[in-house]
Amino acid sequence: MSYNKVTDEVVTKLNAICGEKYVTTSVPLLHSYMARGIMGLEAVLPEVVVRPSNADEVSKILVVANENLSPVTPAAGGLSGGFALPAIEPGGILMDLTRMNNMEVDTQNRVMVVEPGVRCGDAWRIFKKRWPDWAPPIPDGAPPGATILGDAIERGFSLVTGKFGPQADMIIGLEIVLPSGEMFRTGSWALEGAKAFYRWGVGPNPDGLFLGSQGSMGIVTKAAIKIVPHPHFKTIVAYGGDSWEHIIEPAWEIGTHEMGIAENTVMVQGGNWPLVMTRWPKTNVPLDYKFYEKIGIDEYWMNSEVWAWSQEELDFVLKRIDETYKEYEVKKKTKCPQQSLHPKQIASRLKKPNLIAVPYGLYQAGFLFITWYCPWLESPKMMEEYCAAMENYGFPPTMWVASIDHARQAIVMPILCFDSDEKGIYDKIREFNLETTKSFLKQGWINYRPDPFVHAPETFTKAKEYYRMLVKFRKVLDPNLILHPGRLAIPWGTVTDLPNPLEGE
Amino acid sequence: MTSLEDLRKINARCIHCRACQYAYSNEPDREGESEDFTGMLLSCPSGNIYGWEGYFNSGRMWIARAFLNDEIEPSQEMLEVIEACTTCGLCAEQCPNLIDTVDVIEELRAAIMEAGVEPLNRHKVIGDRVEKEELRNPYNEPREDRTAWFDGVLNKEDAKVAYYVGCTGAYRQQHIAKHTASILRKIGIDFTVLSDEVCCGSPILRTGQKDTFKKVMRENLEMFKDFDMLAFSCAGCYRTFKVDYPKQSGEPLPFEVKHTPDIIFDLITAGKLKIEKPYNKKVTWHDPCHTIRHIGLAIEKEILQKSDNWLIDSRKAKKAKEAWYHRPREVMAAIPGLELTEMYRIKGDSFCCGAGGGVKTQFSEMAMETALERVREAASTGAEVLLTSCPFCITNFSDAVKELKKREEETGEDLSAVGSKLEIVELLELLDQLIE
Repeated sequence: MSYNKVTDEVVTKLNAICGEKYVTTSVPLLHSYMARGIMGLEAVLPEVVVRPSNADEVSKILVVANENLSPVTPAAGGLSGGFALPAIEPGGILMDLTRMNNMEVDTQNRVMVVEPGVRCGDAWRIFKKRWPDWAPPIPDGAPPGATILGDAIERGFSLVTGKFGPQADMIIGLEIVLPSGEMFRTGSWALEGAKAFYRWGVGPNPDGLFLGSQGSMGIVTKAAIKIVPHPHFKTIVAYGGDSWEHIIEPAWEIGTHEMGIAENTVMVQGGNWPLVMTRWPKTNVPLDYKFYEKIGIDEYWMNSEVWAWSQEELDFVLKRIDETYKEYEVKKKTKCPQQSLHPKQIASRLKKPNLIAVPYGLYQAGFLFITWYCPWLESPKMMEEYCAAMENYGFPPTMWVASIDHARQAIVMPILCFDSDEKGIYDKIREFNLETTKSFLKQGWINYRPDPFVHAPETFTKAKEYYRMLVKFRKVLDPNLILHPGRLAIPWGTVTDLPNPLEGE
Repeated sequence: MTSLEDLRKINARCIHCRACQYAYSNEPDREGESEDFTGMLLSCPSGNIYGWEGYFNSGRMWIARAFLNDEIEPSQEMLEVIEACTTCGLCAEQCPNLIDTVDVIEELRAAIMEAGVEPLNRHKVIGDRVEKEELRNPYNEPREDRTAWFDGVLNKEDAKVAYYVGCTGAYRQQHIAKHTASILRKIGIDFTVLSDEVCCGSPILRTGQKDTFKKVMRENLEMFKDFDMLAFSCAGCYRTFKVDYPKQSGEPLPFEVKHTPDIIFDLITAGKLKIEKPYNKKVTWHDPCHTIRHIGLAIEKEILQKSDNWLIDSRKAKKAKEAWYHRPREVMAAIPGLELTEMYRIKGDSFCCGAGGGVKTQFSEMAMETALERVREAASTGAEVLLTSCPFCITNFSDAVKELKKREEETGEDLSAVGSKLEIVELLELLDQLIE
C-alpha cells in the first residue's frame, strides 16, 4: 500500500474546511505532537495538523484524505498520557480533536455525551460544581489531560472498573465518521431524535469494531457513556503478601461475591515494591528492598477502593474484606498483613484524576507501559515470568496489576523503566517485547494495547481467521485504507516484515 | 554553565502527559467559589491563547527533544513558537518528573540563536541596547541618567549593602526606586547605589541572547563583589542574580541577595519591625513568578540536589518551597486593617501576569490577554486592590485595567466585575507609606 504526500493543494482544501487558523504545516508545531514512550516508542512526523471543530469538518477532511490517499491519524488526549500518533510513512494528516470539547450530562438517564476533546481534569472540575453527586466517567490513574472519549474507545479504565469492567463496557452509543466521510450513530441513538439509552439499539450493534481500534476503523466524534453516582463514603484498604499469588487470590475471593461487598469494591489494584522505587531517580533512591521493608512497604500488596452510601455500609464492607483476608491467611498458612495507611496516603490513592502514572520518567528518563490481559488467577504466573524477564534484560521488575470486572480478568502492566539515552535501548526493548509476547501468546494471554509493530503482528499471526475478518471489515469501511494502522496491523506491510497471514488469499 | 545539551536527560523525562498545562494538576478536588475557579484549570498563558500543542510546555519539550536529536532545523519560525512563552514556570511546578521547563525553554532559545538564527526583532533591539556603552539598558535611556532619581550618596565606599536598582526602577518606575531607598533608610540599612550598574540581563537571558547576558553578568558580579548584601526592588533582577548568576557563571554568589519585601519579612518575623499604620482595604495578592515560584522551585531543587534519597527528602524540599510561597502573606498579615482575599490560583499555581520571558516586548496581544484573565480572577475575589511586587506585573496589570476602562468608555458597559475598578499597587510603595 503506498500513500501520497500531503500537497499544497490538500492544505488549501483543509484550510477551506477548518479555516487557516486551524491548519498548520509549521515544522516545530508538527514536532510538538510527538511522543515516544509510555504507550509506544515508534512515531513519525505528521505532514499537516488540522484542528476541526465538529463532526462535519472531520467528515470533509476524510473526503479530502481519500481523494489524495493521505493517511489520517485522529488524536485528542489519549489515555494515561499517550496519544495516537502517525506510525507509517508518510505521516499524513494528524487530526487534533481538542477543539471538539462539548459535553452533555443527563443525570436522569445516567449518561454523559462527550466529544473527543473533553479532558478528565475539566470534566472533574465541572462535575464538582454542577453534579457533585455523580462521577464523570474518567479513567482511574490517567493525568488530567487525558480525554474521556479516548479512554473509553480504547477500553481503558473507569473509576469503577473493578465492578463494571473497562470503560468501553459503559458506552451506550457512538457517533462515528467513517473514513468515507459518512456519519452514523450506534445503539438507540441511531433512531432520529432518540436518546442514547440502549446500547444494542435498533439492530445488531457494530460499535465493537470501533473500540480498541484507536480510530483505525472510523473516527468517533461523540460517545454516550454511563455515569454512576458518586457516594462520598470512600476509602482504600491495602493488604500485603509474600508472593503474587498471595495478593491475587484473596482479591479473587472478594470478587467472586459479584454482588454485595464485591459491588462496593470498585477498584482493586496492586503491585510490588519496585513500583515505589522507580518513581524516583535511580541515582537518588535506595535500590535495595531492605530500605522499603523498613518503611513498611510490603514486597507485594493489593489496594481495594471501597465506595458506600453510609459509614455503616463502608464499615461493613471493610470488615468483610478483612475477614476474607484472615480466612485466606488460615487457609494458605500465610500472612497478608493489612497496611496501616496514613490519611494522606488514602487521600492520595482516592484522588482522580491523578498523576500517579507519570513519575516513572524520573528513574532513568524513559518508560513504557506494556499491558496484558489474562484470567485473574493466571496473573501470578504471568507476573512472575514478566519480572524474571525484566531482570534478565536489566530492567527493574516494576509491576502493576488490577482487577477487571470482579476479578474476572487481570490487567497486568510491567512498567519498563529505561535510560532513553542508552545506545541500542529501543532494540533491547523490542527484543524483550518479542520474547515475552511469544511466550504469553502461547499461554493464551492477550495484549490489551498491542504495539503496532510487535504485539499486533505476533497476535494476528496466531489469530488468522480473526485478522481476515478484521481486514474485510476495514476494507468495507475504509477501501483506501487511509486511516492509520493503530493496533490493527492494517495494512500489514506497513508495520511488520512477518509473513502476512492472508498471503495467497 | 548550562546548555540545552546539559538538560538532555532532564528533557527526556517528558512523557507528554500534559499535566503541565494545568494549575493544580494534582489537586482535582480543590474547592473554589465557582466553576471557573475550582479543581484544576488550564493555565498556560501561551497554550490557552494559541491552542496548538507547540504553544504549551508539553509540546515545547518535544520540540526541544527534536532539536537535541537533530530532527529539526533551527529557524525563525521555531523561535517564534519558543519565544511566545512567559517562562512563568507554572509547568515546572506541575511536572511530576520535575523537569526544569523554564531552563529547557531558555536554553532552547539560546541554542537556536547559537545555531545562527537572529533574535526576534524586538528582542534584538533590547539586546543591542543593553550592549551599547552609552545605554546599557533595554529602554534606550542615556546611561548617565540611570541614577538621576537617587538623592543619596552614590558609590559610597564603606557601605556593605548595595541597592541594585535595575533598569525599570532607574528609568520607568523611579517612584518605586525612591520608595525602596526610603524603606531601606527607615529600617536602618546603610546602603549605596552604584553609578556604573548595568542591566542585570534578565530580559536578555530570557530571550536567549546569552552572549550579551554573560557580558553583563560578569560586569555586575565584578562590580558588586565586595558587598555583603544586595537589596532589590525588581523581581526580575532579583531572580536573575539569585538563580541565574550562580547557574550561568558556575560559581556561588559572592554576596547575599534579598528582595526588599523579604528584608521586611525577616524584620517582622524577628520581632524587630511592627507596622502600626493601618491599611483599611480589601486586597488580593498576585505572586510574581520571579520572586515566588522561580525561587521556591530553586529552593526545592537545591535540597533535592543534595539528597541521595528523594523518597524521603522530597517532602522536606516541598515544605521549604511552600514556606517560601507563604512569606509575602506573612508581611501582609502584619499590616493592620489589610483584609487579604486570595485569588483561586496562588503560590506555585499562580497564573502569570503575562509580561515575562520577553512576551510583553514581542507578543503584546498575548501579554494583554493574559493580564486581562488574571485581573478578572483578581476581581472575582471582591478585592479593591490588586497588590504585587514586580515592576512587570504592575505594568501589565495597569495596562489591562486601562484597557478595561477604555472598553467601558467605548461601550458604556460596566466592567468592574472583570477588574476595571481595581487599584494596582506595588507592595514596596505600600510598605513605604506604612513604615514609619
